[in-house]
Amino acid sequence: MIEGLLVLSGTPIDATAPIALQVGDALGQFLRPSTLARVFVDGLAKAALYVMIAAGLTLIFGLMGVLNFAHGSLTMIGAYLGGAILVVLVGGGGPTTLALFFVTVVAVFGLLAAFGALLEVGLIRPLYDRPPIYQILLTFGLTLVLDELARIVVSFYGLQPITDWQAVLGTKPPILTQSVGLGPVSVRGLALFEIAFGVVTVLAIYAFLTRTRYGLVVRAGSEDSEMVDALGIDVRRVFTVVFALGVGIAGVAGTLLAWDATWGASVPLASETLLPAFVVVIVGGLGTFRGTVVAGLLVGLVDSTMTWWFQNAIEFTGLPEMTIFLILVITLIVRPQGLFGLAEVGGH
Amino acid sequence: MIALLALYPGIHTVLTTSPVGAEAVALLPDVETMTAVLYFGLFAMSFDFISGYTGYLSFGHAAFYGAGAYFVVLAANGKIPFVPAGTSFMLLLVLAGLTALVLAIAIGAVSFRLSGVYFAMITLGFSQVLYVFVRGWNYVGSNPRDGVFVAGERSGFEIGVPFIDSLNVAIGQLTGDEIEGLLGAISLSAGEVSYYAIGVIVVLCYLAMQRVIHSPFGRVMVAIRENEERARAVGYDTFRYKLAAFAVSGFFAGIAGALFAGFQRSVTPDDTFYFLVAGDALLASIIGGFGTLVGPLYGRLFDESVREFLSTAGAGGGLLPYLREHVPADVLATELVGGVTVQGAIEAFLNGHASLYLGLLFVLFVLYVPNGLLGTLRNRLGGTVASWTAHQLERHR
Repeated sequence: MIEGLLVLSGTPIDATAPIALQVGDALGQFLRPSTLARVFVDGLAKAALYVMIAAGLTLIFGLMGVLNFAHGSLTMIGAYLGGAILVVLVGGGGPTTLALFFVTVVAVFGLLAAFGALLEVGLIRPLYDRPPIYQILLTFGLTLVLDELARIVVSFYGLQPITDWQAVLGTKPPILTQSVGLGPVSVRGLALFEIAFGVVTVLAIYAFLTRTRYGLVVRAGSEDSEMVDALGIDVRRVFTVVFALGVGIAGVAGTLLAWDATWGASVPLASETLLPAFVVVIVGGLGTFRGTVVAGLLVGLVDSTMTWWFQNAIEFTGLPEMTIFLILVITLIVRPQGLFGLAEVGGH
Repeated sequence: MIALLALYPGIHTVLTTSPVGAEAVALLPDVETMTAVLYFGLFAMSFDFISGYTGYLSFGHAAFYGAGAYFVVLAANGKIPFVPAGTSFMLLLVLAGLTALVLAIAIGAVSFRLSGVYFAMITLGFSQVLYVFVRGWNYVGSNPRDGVFVAGERSGFEIGVPFIDSLNVAIGQLTGDEIEGLLGAISLSAGEVSYYAIGVIVVLCYLAMQRVIHSPFGRVMVAIRENEERARAVGYDTFRYKLAAFAVSGFFAGIAGALFAGFQRSVTPDDTFYFLVAGDALLASIIGGFGTLVGPLYGRLFDESVREFLSTAGAGGGLLPYLREHVPADVLATELVGGVTVQGAIEAFLNGHASLYLGLLFVLFVLYVPNGLLGTLRNRLGGTVASWTAHQLERHR
């Protein structure tokens, strides 16, 4: 990783430079341990969020070959649903506790998983024997419906659909709003929480895939679903369960995002999360969970590094948003099947 | 159908001034909207040209639309090197198309190494890179995030036969020409002139694309969609065919974008380069008929009609203004459930929420009418509408 190399050659330089730094000075600034540490932790927090957003998408694609365009919308719904539960639980204002947050997460997961199962049975199942393009089309239509429904419901309750829902941000427990001293640097509490949450989620999914019997079936189904069917396992039910799981994880990611001021619960969150989720999944290689985790880390760290650079040294406001798409394009040029993907997955 | 489109402003005027005028105002899109249908329909056709005929879903097609649109506005502001500010619009159209064509070849050369989902994603990636880039690029205007407009008080962009002034008309809602007493009888407002001028270009582009589709080249495109390996085995260099088709598609998308910019005289990143613009083209293509060249135009017509019917402003007529005028006030104020009035319900659930109903319709089309309006009609008739009509006429002779 870039960061590791830079630490080795890093020499602290005094920071008396003004806001507009020369690139040389900026490099010196960047190499200071405190900056590096902050960029690194921010990158990990972003990576955790990216992995959370993308995990459901990659599970669904890996098994079923369905690229779920509605994933971002489901994340957005999860954010609103989680926010609503939190606001109701604390009774309109004031911070909540972490325990209540976990209750919320479980509730959102359950509700969205049920919704996902309904979607799979009702809408996606009829399309398995059509060309894969139709599943993209159908889920794309779903995003239109879900986004507009969310907009109607949200404005019905007197909230602005396009701005973040402030009441949810207010329910953050005080531990998360403070900065935590971690060695020489202070880190946002929320960043640490996001990292921990992401790690736990990844471990849970990994354990599900590798340590349970159901996970074994899922992995076998990803390899060859017809063969699994021939062995007497009801693959269609496995499809439903995995789709429900993926949608549930999207909802949980949304709940987590509702607490983060850079994302927030709003209707445009749907496309804000959909595109990074695609990038992470494609860069990692479609359908490989390991690839998604690695790609999430890569994208998160590069993103936070580039954000620092463009805020401090190079004046071009749009570029941090551009980085992740550049990563996508470069990856697909250099290694079209993604970091861990197999060449034959995802093509026709 | 072209005849019907040509007569549309007349029909619109007749119907809106007739006894059923109020209903007509509520139901029919106005002429400005129809102009938008035309240029966006051209964009949707160019999207269908590559996606519907070769089977490669070009999800980043908005890049070419945006390239064409930005080219025109920047050229009019004198910001493109070697293109002076006063260049005629017809030349700008071709140049905008060529810019998009070059862009398409550059993107296609990389993207066609991939297929299926990966192809859709890499084109999406390219268009998003361009979107973010244009949004942050100070060169295009002082506030790139909100888009740029044509500066200065020059007259409207002119469409017509090059070098013959009397055969040129200016387009635009405020800057367009009006024609009075044409052939002694016909007078056209600025909106109607723009409608016809843009319509002529769109029809020409449609005929050109139609020509390509029905040439041997077009047969190879369909062969690639049906079975690319077999097409390659027969001896076609499919990569070149795909790239050429992509370039042609990009060219016409660029022209569509240029028409949009010429008519609106301002562009924003969100209605040109954003990926949901390509999503709108997809919507139009699916509803109209995927893999039928003219289908997307009807799809867009349908799409815009529904949107306008349910619009909040009701500028071109629509459901709510119509109800306000023709349904007694006490009906609208009737309480339904829990203190919600009829008017409140319409405002909350119908107006401005056309995307919801279009989305539902889209899902239903994908599930049950995968061939779209035109494709299904053709299946019923057992051929294209034109050949069916000819056949019927033959029988009755």
